[in-house]
Amino acid sequence: MRTVLLAMSFAVVGLGADFVTEIHPILATRCWSCHSGPTPQAGLDLTTQAGASKVLNVLVARVEGKAGKIMPPVGMPLEPRQIELLKEWVEAGGPWEDVTAKSSDWVAPLEPRAVATPPGEGNPIDRFLGRPAKGVVSDAAFARRAYLDLWGIAPSPEMLERINGNRAALVESLLKDERRYTGHWISWWNDLLRNDIGVVYHGERKSITPWLERALRDNMPYNEMVRELLNPIGGESPEGFLIGVNWRGEVNASQTAFMQASQNTAQVFLGINLKCASCHDSFINKYKLKEAYGLAAMFSKESRLELVRCDNKTGVYQEAEFLWPQLGKIPVDLSASERRYWAAKLFTHEKNGRLARTIVNRYWQKLIGKGLVEPVDDMDAKPSNPDLLDWLANDFAAHGFDLKHLAKMIMTSEAYQYVDALPRRISAEQFSDTLSAVTGEWRFLQSRNSERAMLGRDWEFKSHALGRALGRPIRDQVYTTRDAAATTFQGLELANGSTLAAMLHRGVMRLMGELPPAPENLFDSLMMRSGEKAFEIPVKGLKQVYLLTENVDTYDIAKAEVGWKDLVLVRRGVEKKLEALPVRTPIGSRLVYEVPAGSEKLRGKVWISDASKASDIGTAVRFFAFGSEPDRLRLVKVVGDRPWGPAPLLKSVPETIEYFWRGLLSRAPNEAERSAAMKLFPNRELTREGAEDLLWSLLMHPEFQYIW
Amino acid sequence: MVNRRDWLKTATLAALSAGEARLIAAPSKPEAKADSMILLWMAGGMAQTETFDPKRYTPYETGLRSEKVLSTFPSIPTVLDGIQLSKGLEQTAKVLDRGTLLRSHRVGDLGFILHSRHQFHWHTGYEPPQSVAVPHMGSFISRTLGAKNPDIPAFIDIGQNLEIGGESDSLKAFHTAGFLGSEHSPFLITEPNDAVASTRPSEFLGMSRFENRYKFYKDLVDKSALRDNGSSFQKESLARSLENAHRLLTSPAAKAFDLNLEKAEVAAKYGDSKFGRGCLLARRLVEAGARFIEVTTEYIPFRFWDTHENGHTRAEGMKATIDGPVSQLIRDLEERGLLDRTLVVLATEFGRDMMMEGKPENLVKNQVTVPDVMTEPKHYGMHRHFTEASSVVMFGGGIAKGKVHGETAPERPCRILRDPVTITDLHATIYSLMGIAPDTAYEVERRPVYATKDGKGKAVAGLMRG
Repeated sequence: MRTVLLAMSFAVVGLGADFVTEIHPILATRCWSCHSGPTPQAGLDLTTQAGASKVLNVLVARVEGKAGKIMPPVGMPLEPRQIELLKEWVEAGGPWEDVTAKSSDWVAPLEPRAVATPPGEGNPIDRFLGRPAKGVVSDAAFARRAYLDLWGIAPSPEMLERINGNRAALVESLLKDERRYTGHWISWWNDLLRNDIGVVYHGERKSITPWLERALRDNMPYNEMVRELLNPIGGESPEGFLIGVNWRGEVNASQTAFMQASQNTAQVFLGINLKCASCHDSFINKYKLKEAYGLAAMFSKESRLELVRCDNKTGVYQEAEFLWPQLGKIPVDLSASERRYWAAKLFTHEKNGRLARTIVNRYWQKLIGKGLVEPVDDMDAKPSNPDLLDWLANDFAAHGFDLKHLAKMIMTSEAYQYVDALPRRISAEQFSDTLSAVTGEWRFLQSRNSERAMLGRDWEFKSHALGRALGRPIRDQVYTTRDAAATTFQGLELANGSTLAAMLHRGVMRLMGELPPAPENLFDSLMMRSGEKAFEIPVKGLKQVYLLTENVDTYDIAKAEVGWKDLVLVRRGVEKKLEALPVRTPIGSRLVYEVPAGSEKLRGKVWISDASKASDIGTAVRFFAFGSEPDRLRLVKVVGDRPWGPAPLLKSVPETIEYFWRGLLSRAPNEAERSAAMKLFPNRELTREGAEDLLWSLLMHPEFQYIW
Repeated sequence: MVNRRDWLKTATLAALSAGEARLIAAPSKPEAKADSMILLWMAGGMAQTETFDPKRYTPYETGLRSEKVLSTFPSIPTVLDGIQLSKGLEQTAKVLDRGTLLRSHRVGDLGFILHSRHQFHWHTGYEPPQSVAVPHMGSFISRTLGAKNPDIPAFIDIGQNLEIGGESDSLKAFHTAGFLGSEHSPFLITEPNDAVASTRPSEFLGMSRFENRYKFYKDLVDKSALRDNGSSFQKESLARSLENAHRLLTSPAAKAFDLNLEKAEVAAKYGDSKFGRGCLLARRLVEAGARFIEVTTEYIPFRFWDTHENGHTRAEGMKATIDGPVSQLIRDLEERGLLDRTLVVLATEFGRDMMMEGKPENLVKNQVTVPDVMTEPKHYGMHRHFTEASSVVMFGGGIAKGKVHGETAPERPCRILRDPVTITDLHATIYSLMGIAPDTAYEVERRPVYATKDGKGKAVAGLMRG
């Protein structure tokens, strides 16, 4: 596409330069950085025809360096091709087209706009759209969409069997499960609110996960969420959103925390891009520097901010002011918390129809595949269906800004159920979670300082290579649309990455009943960097004890001196030494001792030598004791509910084939597929390799990778 | 005639839906003097006075005043008349006539020093935080020039483990193609000795099961109903990504990643260190047609070049680590006729001084406690972070031969005396030599993002040949 574009451009040179594609880009990228805005260089504003016409007669001479200082005065001079184009353009009289305005004269309304509900039956949404050409999908396909869109996990074969054609009831029941619903939607909100777990930049940054989880579980009304994000009060508030992403040190004026807040609140809640307007009046939309600062002043410590234009202080100050002052004038000299109160009030003002429209449009994009306004972060653009957008926004507001109501309204429309709906790529989290659900094998979340671990869904873990390859973003910026492209790197990670390979391997073992039971530990030292810790465990009835020395984060494993000592068995009050001297155990190793019959307790200490504390060794280890063969991936005690029911035990090839097809693709395999799959199992025997390869192939299948 | 603006709109939308950032009106390209680039990254702040810009030597003795110490090593002569390097770089001293030593590289002022933040700045040309996800230089080159050999990833990054260390999140933040799209992500190789493993099917799978699995997969997809319905764009792009991956994993070109295939006598010259093996791998990859390779000594806070104490001992060790491999890399490339078209750049995020943090005009908060008087050997070394001047060594692809560019003062505060070169202009030089104009821009959210900040980078004539 790109090469064709350039070829076309060259082809038209000589027929008269085209303003839009040839002259405007030159002006925008090489001239406007100085010749625009309220105080342009030399008083020359090249963003308007009036301004440009003043200098048409000297323009070419200036860029050729033949009349005074060459323009532009920094960077490379214009190249010959560009000068040729300018010559042609000047010769033609400098014709102008207003590139910044849209081709239509659409002005996005501010206030909510009443739209009568069209007469008819069924979901009102469909009355705004035409009849679907190819009809709606089958019940099973609908269920697959609904489960993935509400729970983020494909329906299990049992769940598929229970569907009864009542699609509205299915949507309602999915919405009722707060945990599963939150476990999916939190990733979408994390992208939007730049929230992540445990990311450390050595500057101020605070996760809002506890608040967000609660907001989703309680189905907090959207306008209330916005109010709490804009005016966070109290320890459990989402103040991390306004704190932003900060690196230690000094920062450019356009990226201070309050400027980030200005950009992010405008983008996330109003669909407006103020990033350009954070340094100068925007070249790509109508927003001005003072507007970005006016919004920023609602979130800053000071009540008025000095405008900094392209790194130059202007000496001009801006008070807190909303983008639409007609909704309310903020009094001057308010405290920071009062100004945030005003921000919350104005963003959620009943006359600010853009609040509802923006979120409704985002939900439409998420569920249908394409927003009614595209791009979704440009809510000034014309919707493809203004009446539908406004009706839906009003309905959403009338129902108390209930996000579950919005989801249900969209999902019970025929528009959501078209056979030829836009295919949507499954997310990194949907991929991992569905795989875990199908195999019954979940990763578990453990912390260095807790004796308990929990089975977690993918969102709860820090981003890893597989997740990143499948599109989970680094949330330094707001992400409203993920990169869903299938890239070579993704292919490499899927075809050969160790994370997926391990998940498949362990998952298949669990399905075939080949994973040993994971016993609970009898002793967990938690992470230790130095010193000693005493322990005592009951050993009655045990045949052996296993003493493990596990690495947490040791820098130089070979040099670390750690181990066990003072090990004694206690039997009827009598102690018997197990080892005379302290035992040094290499990190990653284990000791196994036979337990004589009648023994009641084992006592001892774990130790780390003083020398091992040195920064060049950086010892960080964790010791465990078990009464039976431990599962090294399950050393910490697991508590809490499983995210999904247990997977079945697979015993035969036909059973496996049926199960995988239904669990991943929500349908039965056809005959050709069935016989092809059988070939993976020579002698019709269920093998680990065959099951892994079949599982892998179905995970890569476009039918799985996309929501059809 | 189709209305060009409508056509432009659809073209843009199509490009956006294909996930690629649109190249804006490309300025004329400078003539490329190099086809590939190797960045040898001295992570952690390589002390310039202990390496490439030695000053007066003061040996250690108890009671030595810290402010008297500029270099903790004596100097050695090099192949260039009158130019000296620090003791420990004897091999590299012999190949300086193949390139240019830049002593006046002045980096940015970012406030209270954070290594990863300066590294982010150096690798992307932009100071974080940024309102868009800016790409690593390797990704920019990959996107603009494309891969040289389609079976070798265009951008390969060797030696940095991104999952450990106190600043790993901030390192991840710039090891990315950002808005250019993940197709231009770095191909990460943490351990050069294991490189071949990441380019071959894992040993659990084995080649034949790997190939059979893929064949089965393609056959299976063919048998599903999606063959007839369903958008072809989605199916094709997914198929293509897996096809490219499988091609890479079974391609003979991937032999370049296997260090065991190198002649033992040649491999021995690179030594056993991770960095040394990384340099050997980089040479092999250039031969096989990689476009951009970074080999790092690795950043882990307080380790390697990041000397907060024991600077002298550590610098000795680091020089021993890099001296052989760097010089051997240059010699090997030259012997194979590749040096002229390969740009090799050795750089670091800032230099070091004993007394000041930041630069004379812009001091920043102290991070390290430096005693006025040294009482133990661990006090001896360069322990503070100096953004005024660091050394950069550049070889090959269009670089002037046997030159020294810029100069720093012989006495503290070791200011740059002439020819300072900023990150922006150093990048402009690098991009120009690779055939990319410094004001090449991509469109993101309808605004341009340039190769060098605001497109203002100017290539430094003094660094380039002819």
